[in-house]
Amino acid sequence: MTGAEEPAPDVRAELRRAVTALASPGASGHGVTSDLSIDEALLLHSIGWEPVDLVCGVSVASVPAGVWSWGMGEIAVASDAQGLAFTGAVQRISEECRRVRGHGVVGVHVEVTVDRHHIDVELVGTAVRPVQGAEGGEVFVSDLSGRDFTLLHQAGWGPVGLAHGASFVYAPRRSAATSIRQTGANVELTNYTEAMYSARELAMERMQQTAITMRGTGIVEVKVTEGPMPFAGHAIGFSAWGTTVRLVADGHRYLQPRMVVPLDDAVVSFEAESLRG
Amino acid sequence: MAEDALPEAAERRLRSGAWSSGLSSADFAACLAMGLEPVGLVQGFCVMRWGWYGTGNPYMSPWSPYASSGGRGYSEVFRCPHYGYVMSGEHRTWGQNYEQTWVEDAWHQGFGSAYARLVQEAAQAGAHGVIGVVDSVRHLSDMSVTEFHMLGTAVVVGGATHPSGAPPWTTYLAGQRLAKLIEAGFMPVSLAVAMSSVRVWAYCMTDYLMEGRNFSWGGYGAQEVDQVVRARMAVRQIARKHVRDQLGGDSLHGARMQTSGWSLAEGDEVVECTLRGTRVRRYKDFGPVVPPVPTVRLT
Repeated sequence: MTGAEEPAPDVRAELRRAVTALASPGASGHGVTSDLSIDEALLLHSIGWEPVDLVCGVSVASVPAGVWSWGMGEIAVASDAQGLAFTGAVQRISEECRRVRGHGVVGVHVEVTVDRHHIDVELVGTAVRPVQGAEGGEVFVSDLSGRDFTLLHQAGWGPVGLAHGASFVYAPRRSAATSIRQTGANVELTNYTEAMYSARELAMERMQQTAITMRGTGIVEVKVTEGPMPFAGHAIGFSAWGTTVRLVADGHRYLQPRMVVPLDDAVVSFEAESLRG
Repeated sequence: MAEDALPEAAERRLRSGAWSSGLSSADFAACLAMGLEPVGLVQGFCVMRWGWYGTGNPYMSPWSPYASSGGRGYSEVFRCPHYGYVMSGEHRTWGQNYEQTWVEDAWHQGFGSAYARLVQEAAQAGAHGVIGVVDSVRHLSDMSVTEFHMLGTAVVVGGATHPSGAPPWTTYLAGQRLAKLIEAGFMPVSLAVAMSSVRVWAYCMTDYLMEGRNFSWGGYGAQEVDQVVRARMAVRQIARKHVRDQLGGDSLHGARMQTSGWSLAEGDEVVECTLRGTRVRRYKDFGPVVPPVPTVRLT
């Protein structure tokens, strides 16, 4: 995104003016803390929002011993544990946001760690609010960057919350005959494929259900992690999360982006290897 | 190392005609455009012996180590809910989270000394500020020794006079990002960095839950581990409070929060959090920012 045409400011004069400000004591009161870049802060400001404070939420949920032993179907306790940890972390970051009078949290970094006996979820982001805005009601938590939040806002959409779904599924044992037949052969291990599909469907369905509960229209920027557990190769995990959004304006606003040709193309250098043909 | 003296070689280098800089060519060009002239690459080091049970820790005092963290930090006690049952001697009837203020003090001493030396070098070189600061904290080999190191490029502001007696200002930013910050109405004041450390002494429930043994007391489903959650929230809140204490009424820009932790025994753990950023002062109000125009790059 670029700004509309304006005369370029005299940065040297600005810097000299800024340096003189150091001679006077800073303002009293509560300053802003934020992990947003200056670009993101300016973009937020352009749509009438401002950063307030750095906020975080953490949760750790236990997974009982023995659940990773080989079995059939979904490992429901582990799936529940991840759901519980995610919900707890979102709840805590929302509470912190409310406490600093934010209306929502943007740029949330999501970190999920699955251990044999516990699942940890950590969220860190910046609480934001409309400039001189009134007290907010329900706060939103979003992993969209300040730039994406601004784009959505311009298009008439707003974030509602962080949707999440997870599932852990056992890869079924193969029969002895199948196991022998597949030894040394290049064949699909259908038990693993099916387990992945099963975990995927359950997790995606849960994530979408969360979005529906929040009365969202859809989920953007969905992130997916999947694969066998490092401590239990026969258990497949699938997690998905993203930001639930809904239309807040009367209708979708088309942005009609301007096309630009950057003049900083990478230089194609001569490679001696190309002479070999 | 004496606080008021630079090594002789450093003084000689800073007095010489040529300067060195840690800036990339792009950042260097952006700084020249802003009227910032490099003076030299300045650095600060501090190597600390690192022990968990150093001066000030409650284990070294004749008082109960569990009483509090020196009376000036976060502390919270957890009691066993199994009152009335017959317990083994190993049953953890009591647990505590507490802030390890002596560890924080040692960290701040190491970081603060390296920072003070960096600023001292810059001041001696006649700089107004230090930009593009990079810091690192690492353990040296297998010894209980921690090295704090930071470097940055000392600069002068062409045509400006530095407030007399004020130390050079410092920032993690350089180049275009620094230019944008200043255009937006913020002037860097200093780095704002803090570290916090919380120790978890697990009580029975934390021990069971972190080891997956909660079924031994009739529970089986997933449960939140309250003591650990509270410790991990507290360590982040303490780091933010420490940084807030450094800000006055100024703001923290470009915050980076990093946490680490390690398990010590069943349920016991140490969690640490560092929060870094640039303390910035608003020198003019936000001008009206025009709504951005979305673009598509034809590449």
